[in-house]
Amino acid sequence: MEIAWLALLGFLLTGYFVLGGYDYGVQMLSIVLARDERDRRRVLGTVGPFFLGNEVWLVAFAGVLFGAFPFFEGTLLAGMYPLIVVLLVALVVGNAAVQLRSRWDTPSSRRFWDRLVAAGGAAPAVVWGVLIGVLLHGVPLGGAGSFVLPWSTVLDPFVVACAVSSVALFAAHGATFLVLRSSGALAQRATATARPLLIAAAVAVVLTAGVAFGVGSAAPVTNPTVAVLVVAVLVTALVLARLSLDRNRRGPAFIASCVAAALPVSLVGAAQYPYLLVSTEGPRFGLTVAQGAADAATLVLLAGFGVVLVPVVLAYQAWSWWLFRGRVDDRVPAYY
Amino acid sequence: MSGLVIEFQFGLSWSGLSKFAGNVFGAPVALETLVAFFAESTFLGMWIFGWGRLSKGVHVTLIWLVTVTAYASAYWIMVANGFLQHPVGYEVRDGRAYLTDFGALLGNPNAVIAVGHIAAAALLTGGLFVAGISAFHLVRRAAERDFFSRSLRLGVMTAALVSFPVYVVGAMQYPVLGETQPMKLAALGPAEGTTALATQLAQQYGPGDYVPPAWIAHAQNTMLYLGYLMFIVAAVAALLVYRAWLRRHVPVAILVVAAVAYPVGEFVGGLIYGEAGPNAWLIYALCLVGLGALVLVSDHLMHWRRGAYLMVAMIPVPFVASIGGWLFREGGRQPWIVYGELAVRDALSPVSTASMVFSLVAFLAVLLTLMVVNWVLIVRFVRRGPAGTQLGASPAPLAKQPVPTF
Repeated sequence: MEIAWLALLGFLLTGYFVLGGYDYGVQMLSIVLARDERDRRRVLGTVGPFFLGNEVWLVAFAGVLFGAFPFFEGTLLAGMYPLIVVLLVALVVGNAAVQLRSRWDTPSSRRFWDRLVAAGGAAPAVVWGVLIGVLLHGVPLGGAGSFVLPWSTVLDPFVVACAVSSVALFAAHGATFLVLRSSGALAQRATATARPLLIAAAVAVVLTAGVAFGVGSAAPVTNPTVAVLVVAVLVTALVLARLSLDRNRRGPAFIASCVAAALPVSLVGAAQYPYLLVSTEGPRFGLTVAQGAADAATLVLLAGFGVVLVPVVLAYQAWSWWLFRGRVDDRVPAYY
Repeated sequence: MSGLVIEFQFGLSWSGLSKFAGNVFGAPVALETLVAFFAESTFLGMWIFGWGRLSKGVHVTLIWLVTVTAYASAYWIMVANGFLQHPVGYEVRDGRAYLTDFGALLGNPNAVIAVGHIAAAALLTGGLFVAGISAFHLVRRAAERDFFSRSLRLGVMTAALVSFPVYVVGAMQYPVLGETQPMKLAALGPAEGTTALATQLAQQYGPGDYVPPAWIAHAQNTMLYLGYLMFIVAAVAALLVYRAWLRRHVPVAILVVAAVAYPVGEFVGGLIYGEAGPNAWLIYALCLVGLGALVLVSDHLMHWRRGAYLMVAMIPVPFVASIGGWLFREGGRQPWIVYGELAVRDALSPVSTASMVFSLVAFLAVLLTLMVVNWVLIVRFVRRGPAGTQLGASPAPLAKQPVPTF
């Protein structure tokens, strides 16, 4: 039963990486790609109808993490304390900036909010990169069942490389999304930005894997073969996205970049299975899926709800994607 | 946006709570996100961007779905909170709580009655908000006179209908408190009551400070007296707004005035004496005569500008009252995070005080700033009136979209 819940947890986080990922990419690119105010509104208009719904995947992830893996949740969040605080503040500020920027009409206030919009995209990309890196690297989890993240781990070359890759990956994913949803000159500029970004992201991921092999890690990866395979698929997806863009095939390019944005989650889940947290203090201190999960009675009860609720959630999210599937141009109402 | 922070806050700062009660407390929190939060955000996004794009029926259905999921959200959150107030449906094995009876968790009186109270309080807040803004526009002779007359009636009627249930359902919680959290009730009274209970609790749970902070009595009184005030204002406003209809239906008018005079008298007495004690009958009689007179000879009152501004001044009152109720509910269960099972200090994450202070300051700064920004925006949108809303406005001025109205 805990395997099913781990799969759902992974699914929710994957959904968030794919959907929130292009939000953050678009936010980062909004000050680069847009030439004037109308452009900026159109850039944000591409994520517009989905923006609120995308972030909820993270909230649902946190809810399921708490409901199904409470013993993992407490250890993880308390241990990663400063990172989570930075992530949450950045998300709240970025979210507010997107929604508030068009509420004032003065150019100076718009500039102020626009910088916050971009920062609110870049900061989560960095923090998620660091979190993925730290989870792969291992945490100093001892016998007490809790840990405090040392700064040396955050500044570890592998973790820093993960953060850089994450920013490149989300930016490339956001640019590919913009190619799909925008129109006219903006779409051309998005294509010109997406093509090098996709390759940059692929290179960053390969270099990060290289650092992992070169430097070695305090806690060895539990399933190295699976990890290498996932990384290979990720890089291939990025290259395929680039090749599709070269042939002006926007749909397949976006699907490929979605796959790339999704895979960091699979990487963490599969590379360290059956551990949720690998310990740098030795394998016996690691936290396994079974240890992190809630009691079987709770999981069975939640599963009854999950079987009904998850398809319903997917159905109305898909309905929202279908309704707002077209390209954004001047005739589409903007709110952000 | 603060919902995101709360969702993480449990494990972030209170990992002891996850470790002790995760099997039980986590379930309603997880279900809240899947049942309600997810739907609410998705539908709200679709509603904002659906102006002029979706059919009217679908569009209005979306905002109703947002409303329904908001109340569903309140239920699941109160189930979680109810467990903290009065844990049920669980057993403790080896220092960890296990879920044994989900039905008991869902039917926890500390959750169910509180949801009723909060739902009514939310409607009261909304009613007074709509009434206050409508009165403001009417007194400033806004162009949309019909629009605001209708919304004034809606707001006043809602506030009048729910302001008494808020009180009644709220009062229903006190017997439950007497059984489940006697200390919370004792802390409202003289110090002798708490001393005896504290000795009893120390025998039960070991030495410790079991007396909640003294300010919870002020929090409760703030909620209670503002509740009285809101009922009186809402009842008077409803009689005024509907006076023409009441004059045409004399039997109904007599029944309504007689029915309303009793609680109004009770609350007027409460505001004067603390309890509706001395001179109760005199106060009832005066209220009956006063309210009756209001319906009969009050036409000039409708043109009394200060009366309209009184409705505007009522807008913040339900918010202050709600905060009072919240402080009473949560402050009154100290020192417990899970009543009788886990103390707040034992639930704290193993995080340095400096990190804790830093994050508290950071979240407070961001959320308070957003709160002020939000108020400024609300005031601006209110002044602009229904034609000035920007929802779904097109970025290109030439491509005119139909102007949306609420």
